[in-house]
Amino acid sequence: MSEPTTTDDLPLASLEPPRRSRASVVWIIPLLAAAVAIGIAVQRILTEGPTITLLFQTAAGVQAGKTVVKFKDVDIGHVTAVRLADRFSKVELTVKMDRSAAGLLVEDTRFWIVEPRVTLSGVSGLGTLISGNYIGLQPGNSTKEQRRFVGLDAAPAITDQPGRRFVLKASDLGSIGLGSPLYFRRLKVGEVVAYALAADGSGVDISVFVFTPYEQYVTPETRFWDASGIDVSLSAEGFDVRTQSLVSLLAGGVAFDVPSFVTATGPAGEGSVFTLFGSQTNALKQPDPVARRYVIYTDTLDGLQVGAPVKLLGIRAGEVAEIGLAVDPETRAFRPRLLITFFPERLVTQLTPGQQELGRALVNAGEDERIKLIRHQIEDLGLRVQLRTGNLLTGERYVALDYQPKAPKADMDWTRDPLELPVTPGGLADLESKASGILDQLHDILAKVEELPLEPIGRKLDSSLENLDRLLANADTETLPELNKTMAALRGAVVVAERVLEDTDESLLSRNSAAQQELSAALIEITRAARAVRVLSDYLERNPQALIRGKGKGNQ
Amino acid sequence: MDAPAEAGFCPRCGARLHRRHPDSIQRSWALGVAAAVCFVPANVLPVMVTDAFGSSKPDTILGGVVFLYGSGSWPLALIVLVASFMIPLGKLLSLGWLLIAIRRGIRGGERQRMRLHRIVRAVGPWSMLDVFVATFTVALVQLDPLMSVEPGLGVLFFAAVVVLTMLAADSLDPRLLWDRNEIEPCHV
Repeated sequence: MSEPTTTDDLPLASLEPPRRSRASVVWIIPLLAAAVAIGIAVQRILTEGPTITLLFQTAAGVQAGKTVVKFKDVDIGHVTAVRLADRFSKVELTVKMDRSAAGLLVEDTRFWIVEPRVTLSGVSGLGTLISGNYIGLQPGNSTKEQRRFVGLDAAPAITDQPGRRFVLKASDLGSIGLGSPLYFRRLKVGEVVAYALAADGSGVDISVFVFTPYEQYVTPETRFWDASGIDVSLSAEGFDVRTQSLVSLLAGGVAFDVPSFVTATGPAGEGSVFTLFGSQTNALKQPDPVARRYVIYTDTLDGLQVGAPVKLLGIRAGEVAEIGLAVDPETRAFRPRLLITFFPERLVTQLTPGQQELGRALVNAGEDERIKLIRHQIEDLGLRVQLRTGNLLTGERYVALDYQPKAPKADMDWTRDPLELPVTPGGLADLESKASGILDQLHDILAKVEELPLEPIGRKLDSSLENLDRLLANADTETLPELNKTMAALRGAVVVAERVLEDTDESLLSRNSAAQQELSAALIEITRAARAVRVLSDYLERNPQALIRGKGKGNQ
Repeated sequence: MDAPAEAGFCPRCGARLHRRHPDSIQRSWALGVAAAVCFVPANVLPVMVTDAFGSSKPDTILGGVVFLYGSGSWPLALIVLVASFMIPLGKLLSLGWLLIAIRRGIRGGERQRMRLHRIVRAVGPWSMLDVFVATFTVALVQLDPLMSVEPGLGVLFFAAVVVLTMLAADSLDPRLLWDRNEIEPCHV
């Protein structure tokens, strides 16, 4: 503090009293740092998303701090804690979501753990093999926010594709499973996304999802049927195999179409309910509005089944509705009873257009008219029922209605309902009766053969053989000498004939015989004539005009 | 109770003369405060973002310590904790203590305080260790698309903490530690 002054001529540094120190510029630095830090903190707080909890049955491959929540392959959150909950029966995940994803967290948002999944219709989630499992979500449509969710056990088959859902009611699930394809004209247009037992346990509700743009083809008139596996049907009409595709063969499948006899209205709404038919035939069968029922009593039910065709003159006009037995109240004997359903409209469609009006009028006529018509058919025209074999391979039979004018008169009760139709034996039963008839005849023949008098016949044969022996002995003693004589006479005759022949040789063929001379003269004449003819023909060839003009002088 | 900071002018050249570094205390305070402010985000924000197999994972320094300790290598955890957390914090606290001691004019323990100041200045550059580690890791681990490491904001703040503490320690005039002292300066 005290300055040592050795020399006076040294200039003294002028001292100033210390000023009140002003705030230095250097304070900008902490302010800047604080501003940046606060800015980052504020940004953090602003981007801080909600924290949610998810309940899962198991947390397969989920790790705290590592597993992420992905939506459309974008990370929108991560698991911060995994712990057991609900008295160790479930796993509770605490998930920190990004702020951007806050809008996805509504009531019906669904979460599931994505893990590699191999199904018949493809492999999904392969990316998780390297990145580990992640949590997928399907955004809901609700507006009510929610922070606690119960996760799904399996990924929903359809996540965010546009399309429409429909519900099919089936009696059982068959071989349909999640992801089973849905076909429209053999084109895959959707898949089965869920199934559940109906609330009353009476059947199964199958949810199918039809992708855009195919949902427009599902109309209220559409029929769905189970297209799983191979549809093999054996019936009186033969052997029929149908299948949609190899995938549906293995993984089951559903197909739909609009029957040809209805006109489709607009597309069906979301969640419309349809019946799932067992087969395409059933699904696309035309419902017959007018159905008449008749009873037939036969002698056997062999080869008949419910659904067997009823044909009128070969046109399918109905089917067997019931098969059963009836007891005769008097004799207590069982009789097979068939109930058939007859669809007269099918016959109308077979008529020529001009006659269809008439046919329709007949179909829609009253009960009395109908009875009258049938009575006319049966009593006057001889309409009869016959059971015929439709398929020799399987022995399936069908009900045939034909006119048989020679049939015996039927004993009809016109008051009964349903009406009983008269039956004439035929078809297989007929064949059997014929065969048994043949057997009976064979029996008769055998019986007759047995009655033949075989022993007397044998005795008679013996005596005739003895007679023959005697005859032959006679021939030896009497006939042979006579024959010898005849031979000698013949030899003489031959000698005479030889001599005659020699004479003719001499008279005709020796050189000096008259016949020879004449013959040679005749031959010479013939030679000359031939030469003259040749000269003439040569001349004519050169001068053909000679035939008309005669011989000229100049053409010699 | 201000530190003697009378200013004069050089008679030859007219430059300002200071007995002590001008504004030493203020600068030291300011830079120290800035370092302390930066220390918070340095520890809260991730230092590295590891992007492995499609999932990214941010790591803070303390998170790394916890991870190391949890995976059983506590010596490593200790090293990281000391080098990356304790030392910077220690430096900040020491600086604060020195500044407060100067301000209050606390008597006794000047030698220790002097030593503390020296240590703080000596340790300064070494605290950049984890910044180096982070930068090296980021530079080396770039195995796109399988794995990659990106620097987090935390590294920036961490580096800022180190630099600011060094500047703060440097701008503190150690002679101030001895001012207002009745004790005769030791002649070394």
